[in-house]
Amino acid sequence: MRLPVLLLAIGFLTSCSNEADPSADKASFTRIYDTDNFNASFYPIDMKQTPDGGFLILGGRRINDSNFSGIYIMKVDEYGGFVSELEVDPAFVNPVGPLLESGGNYYFFAMNAVGLQTQLFQLDASGTLSDPINVGAAYPAAAAQDGTNFILLSYDNLNKQSVVSLITPTGSISQSQGFTIGAGDAVEEPIIEHFLRTGRQLPFLVGKAGGQYYFNGFYNYTLSLVFTNLTDNEPEGVVQGQQDDGGISQAVPLDGGTFALARFNFGDNYILPKSTLNTNGVSASVDLGGNSFPELIANAPVKILRITLGTTKRVLYGSNTKSSQIGLFGYDETTGDFTGSKYLGFSNPFELSSFLATTDGGLAVCGTTYMAGRFPRVCIFKLSADEVSQSFQ
Amino acid sequence: MMYLKRMLPVLLLLLVCATVLAQPKKKGGLINKPNQQNKFLEKQWWLGIKAGTNLAQAIPTKRYTVVTPTNYAQALNDKEYDSFNNTGSQATLEATFYYKGFSFSAQPTYRHSRFTYSNQFQWDNPENVEERLVLQYDQEQKLDYADFPFIIKYDILRDKFRPYAQVGIFYSLLINANKAVAVSGTDYASGGTNQFSNDPIIVGAKDLFDNNWGLMAGAGLEYNLGNIRVVLDASYWKGMSNISNVESRYGSDRLAGIGDAQDDMKLNNFVISAGVLFPMRFLSSSFKTLDR
Repeated sequence: MRLPVLLLAIGFLTSCSNEADPSADKASFTRIYDTDNFNASFYPIDMKQTPDGGFLILGGRRINDSNFSGIYIMKVDEYGGFVSELEVDPAFVNPVGPLLESGGNYYFFAMNAVGLQTQLFQLDASGTLSDPINVGAAYPAAAAQDGTNFILLSYDNLNKQSVVSLITPTGSISQSQGFTIGAGDAVEEPIIEHFLRTGRQLPFLVGKAGGQYYFNGFYNYTLSLVFTNLTDNEPEGVVQGQQDDGGISQAVPLDGGTFALARFNFGDNYILPKSTLNTNGVSASVDLGGNSFPELIANAPVKILRITLGTTKRVLYGSNTKSSQIGLFGYDETTGDFTGSKYLGFSNPFELSSFLATTDGGLAVCGTTYMAGRFPRVCIFKLSADEVSQSFQ
Repeated sequence: MMYLKRMLPVLLLLLVCATVLAQPKKKGGLINKPNQQNKFLEKQWWLGIKAGTNLAQAIPTKRYTVVTPTNYAQALNDKEYDSFNNTGSQATLEATFYYKGFSFSAQPTYRHSRFTYSNQFQWDNPENVEERLVLQYDQEQKLDYADFPFIIKYDILRDKFRPYAQVGIFYSLLINANKAVAVSGTDYASGGTNQFSNDPIIVGAKDLFDNNWGLMAGAGLEYNLGNIRVVLDASYWKGMSNISNVESRYGSDRLAGIGDAQDDMKLNNFVISAGVLFPMRFLSSSFKTLDR
């Protein structure tokens, strides 16, 4: 009687062993990528998941040779393990996200440090960089995907214009249109401070919604969300901000002509998970209302991501909280109802750079943390599909 | 898997019951004849309590990290575990069936174990020796388990002093876990040598650990004192499975934020207990049960 029971017990014990699980190691992890250089400073701009399950990170770094940020590229594996890094020649500066995709390669814009001309860089999935292509536009500010081509928002400091261009992966400008920011140095000052990172990082963005292109940039003395057909030199629609003290901080087109928006106004932040914009007229961002988020830092940078949980669509907002955490807030895309939140980071400050839905149904959040409270380093939070579902379902 | 884990205590209880049921019933009441007394003494049930101290040793089997170096060796950040350096405590209920020198014992135990590890990070500037910062993280883990061991003992001598050897198997059910992290450092870049330490961060860490099982072996000494038996027991408990929860090693934002990730590890314990055992079968109205 006793021996079989004992053997059964041993069988149970062995089956209950809790050994390493590679799938769990991939599904959820936290990583901070550290260099022991006291003066090194890195900040990520965007991250993409590569076909091998790993991640490619475009970032900036402090360089001594220029007032602008240098270019930093890092490749990590599917477990978040460090694979390689590249500190790009400081002759090239001011990297602009997001990482764009075309033909199995990744692209991003930057500029040369001397001529301040926009350059198009190509990366492969392993993080190997090709020679840049001179695009010609000045001061790249934001970019977006347009099928296999790219949309670029740049600042033309000679003509004082916000310029939207359509660019092929070979670096050719197929279409371009400029919009005046207004006369005088005062309106240009926050733009230059943005590029030098000596002032506030402005929420420049560009994209396409339906048949219209849009950009969030300076137009007629005001930070505005401008809609254009890229043919006329006058916008089709403008959502005006309050000079650089108010405006749209993020916009992502949803289905049915609506937008997921975030806006700021004199330091306050508002989230509008489902908003209809007047894209063919003039309106003001302050009239859009929205859910107030006083827990976010003043004029907070906001990222928006559309994901699908099972059969339901969610809009995730990510931003930086006053408690130095990364805050993620979920909304039902159809109704605009709040569905959940999650906060990442503790002890040291954490700031969001980008986040993406991963192929395993999880979420990867890339940001900057300050090790020992002072050294800016790249960090990644990988959340499993279960964690995402529990937080935002 | 979770179902199996929940069933394990029940299984162990069944094991004890099976032992009880396997004992044949005595017929005819108590027997006083010497040869029959010896025969009677071949079997005995003992119930008792023990308590004592333990020293834990965590053995990392696979290391994990949050802080991932890009320009220096990972080994420089590796955690250094202390071995058998922190005392814990335990209290045990013992139910033992003795038969012809062998004892079969179930000893459910509440055990509190502690172990510590530390790691260090350093940033410097080769061009300026004054630009240097060293951070030291000292982490203490406190684990509370309900242990369910099944032990076989063999009495080497069967006199008033009864030394014995024992082997067994155990299953440990996690009850609670806490971590305390103390951060200290030296900042050479602040115009002098600035040594600082922060208040420890104490977090609940039950989600980071899991149930586990292992084997044990040891020795002890029993002494017949009147009708009872006092016992001093020492044993080595060797963990055979990972004590970490592999699905939530990064589950604590507070710990991940300071760069700590739970390694896979096995936990060994050196356990010393003292206690008293009471016989459950008596010879006569004089309650003389022991071979004294």
